[in-house]
Amino acid sequence: MIAPAILAHERRALLQDRLPVVLLGLFALICLFASLRGAEKREAMEEAATAFEAEHLQQASDWRERVVAVESGAVAPEDDPWAGLAMDVARPAVAAPGPLADFSQGVTAVHPFTSGVSLWRSVDRLFGNYQFQSPNEIRAGSIDLAFAVLFIMPLVMIALAFGALSRDKDTGRLGLLLSHPISVRELVRSKLLVRLGAVFVILVVALFAGLFIGAGGVPGGERLGRFGFWFLAASGYFAFWAGAIYWSVSLNRKSETTAMMMIGFWVLNSLVGPAVLAAAAQLIHPAPSQLAFLSTARAVSNEAYRSRSDVMQGMLLDHPELTVENYTIPEYIRVSYLVTQTVDRSVEPVLDDFEAVQRRRQAFLSLMQYAAPAALAMRSINEISGTDLARQVRFEVEVRDYKRVIARQVEGKVLSGERLTVAEVDAVPSYSFRESDLGAVGRNVLFPIGYLFALGMLAAALARRNLVRLQTRFREA
Amino acid sequence: MIRAIASKEFTQYWRDGRVVTVFGIVALLGLAATVTGWSAVSAMERERAAAVAMDREIWDTQGLKNPHSAAHFSRYAFQPTFNLAVFDPGLTEYVGNAIWLEAHYRDPATLRPIEDAVEIQRIAQLNPAWVIQVFAPLLIFVLLYGAVAAERESGTLRQLMAAGVRPVSLLLGKAVSAFSLTGLLVCGVLVGSAFLMSAEGIEALPDTGLRTVGLVVLYLVYLAVFVFLALGVSALSSRSRTALAGLLGIWIVATVLGPRVGPEVAGALAPAPSAPEFAARLERESSDPFWGSSEEAVERRQRVMDGLLAEYGVETVAQLPINYDGYLLQASEEFGNEVFDAMYDELWGSYERQRAIARVFALISPTLAAQNVSMALAGTGIHAYRHFADEAEQFRREFVLLLNQEMIDHGGAEGYAYVSGNDFWEQNPDFEYAAPGIGAAVRGVWGDVMILLLWLALAIAVAAAGVRRGFLGEMAA
Repeated sequence: MIAPAILAHERRALLQDRLPVVLLGLFALICLFASLRGAEKREAMEEAATAFEAEHLQQASDWRERVVAVESGAVAPEDDPWAGLAMDVARPAVAAPGPLADFSQGVTAVHPFTSGVSLWRSVDRLFGNYQFQSPNEIRAGSIDLAFAVLFIMPLVMIALAFGALSRDKDTGRLGLLLSHPISVRELVRSKLLVRLGAVFVILVVALFAGLFIGAGGVPGGERLGRFGFWFLAASGYFAFWAGAIYWSVSLNRKSETTAMMMIGFWVLNSLVGPAVLAAAAQLIHPAPSQLAFLSTARAVSNEAYRSRSDVMQGMLLDHPELTVENYTIPEYIRVSYLVTQTVDRSVEPVLDDFEAVQRRRQAFLSLMQYAAPAALAMRSINEISGTDLARQVRFEVEVRDYKRVIARQVEGKVLSGERLTVAEVDAVPSYSFRESDLGAVGRNVLFPIGYLFALGMLAAALARRNLVRLQTRFREA
Repeated sequence: MIRAIASKEFTQYWRDGRVVTVFGIVALLGLAATVTGWSAVSAMERERAAAVAMDREIWDTQGLKNPHSAAHFSRYAFQPTFNLAVFDPGLTEYVGNAIWLEAHYRDPATLRPIEDAVEIQRIAQLNPAWVIQVFAPLLIFVLLYGAVAAERESGTLRQLMAAGVRPVSLLLGKAVSAFSLTGLLVCGVLVGSAFLMSAEGIEALPDTGLRTVGLVVLYLVYLAVFVFLALGVSALSSRSRTALAGLLGIWIVATVLGPRVGPEVAGALAPAPSAPEFAARLERESSDPFWGSSEEAVERRQRVMDGLLAEYGVETVAQLPINYDGYLLQASEEFGNEVFDAMYDELWGSYERQRAIARVFALISPTLAAQNVSMALAGTGIHAYRHFADEAEQFRREFVLLLNQEMIDHGGAEGYAYVSGNDFWEQNPDFEYAAPGIGAAVRGVWGDVMILLLWLALAIAVAAAGVRRGFLGEMAA
């Protein structure tokens, strides 16, 4: 009977104490703001992506109409000599925001998500100009649910729970409480259950609110599936912190020592750990120089342009069938194509290096993340949300490959200077970005999430042992 | 008396394992951050020097080419990373390193280092300024949370009063000890950074000496704010436990929440234009009204032609003593430049509005104000970036004019078929960037300086009032 009484008392105490109520209210407010802001950003991204795609598809459609007009005889070929020019084939490539981009913005703020794929552009210029975001805003990072869960939630948990045992001890009430038929373990557990339980309830409500706010109504299947994993990850991180706090409390130190210990741990886990890991990953696996990459692309472009007659000669030797007697399209178009292709081929190894470095860094972090649970939780959450770096790298690689596919398909017509037919225009594939399937996401994140739960349980087991010892000491005293 | 109190405090710090541990961790982090910062800046400068040399070589050896075609290929302006970025990289990672100076378009700076960074770097980036901004206040709070409250709890405050210690002596004695210890840390990090900053190959900012003095003063003021705040809170709290909880709350709001919430709320209230939309508008509005097929564009081109024919008193383009194509291209540049000015003013204006809103949050977070001043002094803030971008744009305009003028003067009837050679390219100037002096750097952050001073005054007032009240309370008891 005594444990339920303590639970009831704790509930009342929690609601009557102004500070915990303010903290819980603040946490709920931050979560709400994060959901609304996340939804707003995701919507803005979606609108930008949709508008970009629609504009480019419209251009492609208008261009196709010109080919239709010439092919059907409605327009004389000499009246529109550029209709069906193979070099002008252009298609949009868009990676719509990840299914839960409103929950975690991840790397989306700094990377491109649209590309106007065109044969006029070499692969180093495929993503156009997108660097217009406010640098101050990017630097500060965003307030999204990931931030609320990874940073704010542990702080609220610490603030509510650090005095679970020590406060009674400091005020001399502990002896009185333990004179009742209740163990220290039950006492601490009841207090933590109420205090941390309140945080968990807000977390659950906030996540479900975010689910519906971001979807703008009833969420679809993909979003729901991802949400399941997100919920699991957030719960895992909560469990990890609950275990850590339980253990800290069980050490039975003075309130301020417990508070300092927990804050110290928060600082190490949430700030120092990720910062050091990031620095180490970049130091051990440095990226190739972006400036050197740029210089290489320019040098190759310059060299190919200078030796364009050799390049053309080489192409005609390789493809004598492309020699057309009545060539009417200006030569600069063929030259541009060949220069662009030469640049593409030359920068390929450097781009491969960039990807390889990212892969090595990811492998390094996949291992080292277990030393910093905040980093681990963040990486898992980003992957579930579809805002992780690996997804972005995949998009950029796919866009470059897509350009190669288009180039292969129309190369003959570019070099021979012939028009594309309507059938050939229609045969140009379109690009669509496919999210990783739920199963793959699950396979990648379940172990790290399980690790968080395991850490939490381990800490709880240690705490339990500490409290049993403490109980013995009390009895002996 | 002040010396005696300070001396006693030092002894106590030395004996307190928690203080030694926190100090050691912060010092180690400062050291690691300084070395990491130096390594990053050295690498960036090495890469920049190589890219600048390569850019010149590519330009000089491009062979026979039409000057306007060369203006399309153009050159790059590479942003230097100056010596003080070792200490505070500010926005260095978030703004591009290179601006393409192509004809017809004002490009944003591209190749942002953050795009190559691992995603967990978004949590925190290890650099000396960040270590001081975030961890020095925490160290101060650990040192001082019990400064007055613990004396009261243990009854030593009464003894001190009986010994004739005045409130101001106690306040200054405690302040001096904590200030000296953390000041030592700040000076150590700054001296370490200064030593590494002087390494060969890293370009020095104008007024580096003055800026360094400014940084020292800034961070000493910053520390003083937290020292007096800690003393005030400790004196006003009935228990050291309460003081610690309050101070940790202040630390979280000041260093973790404020710097993120401020820019986020600013972004919500004054959104910057969407990047893809802005890029599309920039391209459309600078080009279509001049080169498009609309009536407005045709009339605009006609006006250019009529004006030129009238200027030379001739009837037809063929009678002109200059190349008309080059003239028209330059006219389009001038039209575009006005559009760029208006649109970039809009973009910078939105950044400025965001900064103004975010600055309001400096009233709850002195860290936010200190960050702005620190970045400005280190030449890594938004104004330094804008200065570079504007200078690069000015050079782009002059450079494109130079190339168009070559076509206008010598193109004659050949027009686009006219080519220049390496002897001409070799005469073309380089972009030489001179960063602004300290005056211009500080102009944009006066508001932040005032807020910091306001914080200092407020903190001193709270500390003085708190200690006086503590003494009165003890006397009454």
